[in-house]
Amino acid sequence: MYDKTVRRRRAVLALLVVLSLILLTAYFGESSEGGLHSVQRGFLTVVSPIQEGANKALKPVRDLFSWFGDTLHAKEQLAEVRKQNDKLRKEVTSERADEHGYHELLGLYHLDQLSLNSYRPVTATVVGKSPNLWYSTIWIDKGTSSGVRRNDPVVNEEGLVGKVAQAAPDGAVVDLITDSEVGVSARINGTNATGVVQPKVGEPNDLVLQYLPGGTSANRGENVVTSGTIESPDDSLYPPGIPIGQVSSEGEESGFKSVNVHPLVDLHDLNVVQVLTYTPGSKPAQLVSLQSGFPDLGQTTTTGSEGSQFTSASTSGGSG
Amino acid sequence: MTLSGSLLARIAVLVVVVVFFQIGVVSEVPVFGVAVDLSPLVVAFVGLLCGSTIGAATGFAVGLLVDLALVQTLGLTSLVFTLVGFWCGRLRELRDPQAALIPLLVGAAATAVSLVGYSLMEFMLGVDAPVSLELLRQIVFGILLNTIVALPMWIFVRRCLIGGLPPDPRRRRRRAYTTGGLSPLSRP
Repeated sequence: MYDKTVRRRRAVLALLVVLSLILLTAYFGESSEGGLHSVQRGFLTVVSPIQEGANKALKPVRDLFSWFGDTLHAKEQLAEVRKQNDKLRKEVTSERADEHGYHELLGLYHLDQLSLNSYRPVTATVVGKSPNLWYSTIWIDKGTSSGVRRNDPVVNEEGLVGKVAQAAPDGAVVDLITDSEVGVSARINGTNATGVVQPKVGEPNDLVLQYLPGGTSANRGENVVTSGTIESPDDSLYPPGIPIGQVSSEGEESGFKSVNVHPLVDLHDLNVVQVLTYTPGSKPAQLVSLQSGFPDLGQTTTTGSEGSQFTSASTSGGSG
Repeated sequence: MTLSGSLLARIAVLVVVVVFFQIGVVSEVPVFGVAVDLSPLVVAFVGLLCGSTIGAATGFAVGLLVDLALVQTLGLTSLVFTLVGFWCGRLRELRDPQAALIPLLVGAAATAVSLVGYSLMEFMLGVDAPVSLELLRQIVFGILLNTIVALPMWIFVRRCLIGGLPPDPRRRRRRAYTTGGLSPLSRP
């Protein structure tokens, strides 16, 4: 009797461990369109409405807890915000003078065809976020039924938030720009040198703009924006000019230069975001369809005004 | 311990409620940048109350639910939680600890094993995640926070499952002894 119990206990443990390992191996080995990912998407479809309901019902409880933390933070932030406000006021004054000329140039070169006007922003509420360090993801309450697709860029009023990783009919998972899976082609505003923004190893709340050409000048406080280029056919085609962060310090330089970037968006306090979706036949749709046809040769592909100007890594400043 | 229908239903409801409460509410309320994680606690306490086999099975189910709901690598949390549930069940079967502080210690140990085990598994899979003092801080604060909530969670889990558990002969004997039922003085 005792032997039977022991044998059964060991068999159950072995079975569960083997089952976990099989799941792990299968999941890790398959593509994002594989069977287990589909099951996960199906689960997301079922869970999204429940999560949304729970999120709304329990918001007062969360707000109560958040209030204590926010009050403590608010005092610290006030002085910093006042300083930034002074700085921004000066910047706005000088930049307004440049704005007119900038729009003239955009119109002249037809570069505004890829601006946000070509997209159909879908406003979504954040209904959950990943609780651990390993995944920087959030869940939103809009999915494929609202036109949200995988790889669609996600922004809020402050700048770039991330991209859609998985989409179910009534919900989607968004990889934040601080997720290790995300790399964004970007440039320092006002320069042509492009690099890749990735999470900073060791400081998950900060970013680093890597692979800038050596000798690129980067001053503290300069804005880093999306460049409108991609690194591989599977990347998100972020529209150019979306603010990502500000240069906080210069990093290492060995062949390529890197600068540390502090994200503009407070990724810990996201409530509402916008997914930049596109309609079939629009300019972004044409570019995405063009992008999916590229072979993954490790080259950087730059989308120009007509979506037909491509340059390799060597000609785009070594951003690959 | 045999798994009755009543106990199975209670565990199933408990697991679903705790996982959704964790994802919907608890994860959204960070303390010192870290959120309490109720999942390893519920696995550990089910193991501590029901034994190793049920503990391991509960660990697998909770892990699978967490991985599905959080869109994480499937099987990773299941593997870690299966071992946590089994270990807590074996602790009950071998030692049957009765001290009042046991839930605190078991909760802390289960959290430590699950957080460290999960991190190690992620490293072994080659996930390019930030490795730093921040990770260490998250693990330490995670253990501390879970230790704080371990006692109320133990009471909650115990209250949920107690109706489905078979009567414990040793507990009944102890109670009878203290109330005089088995006292030598009360014998004729």
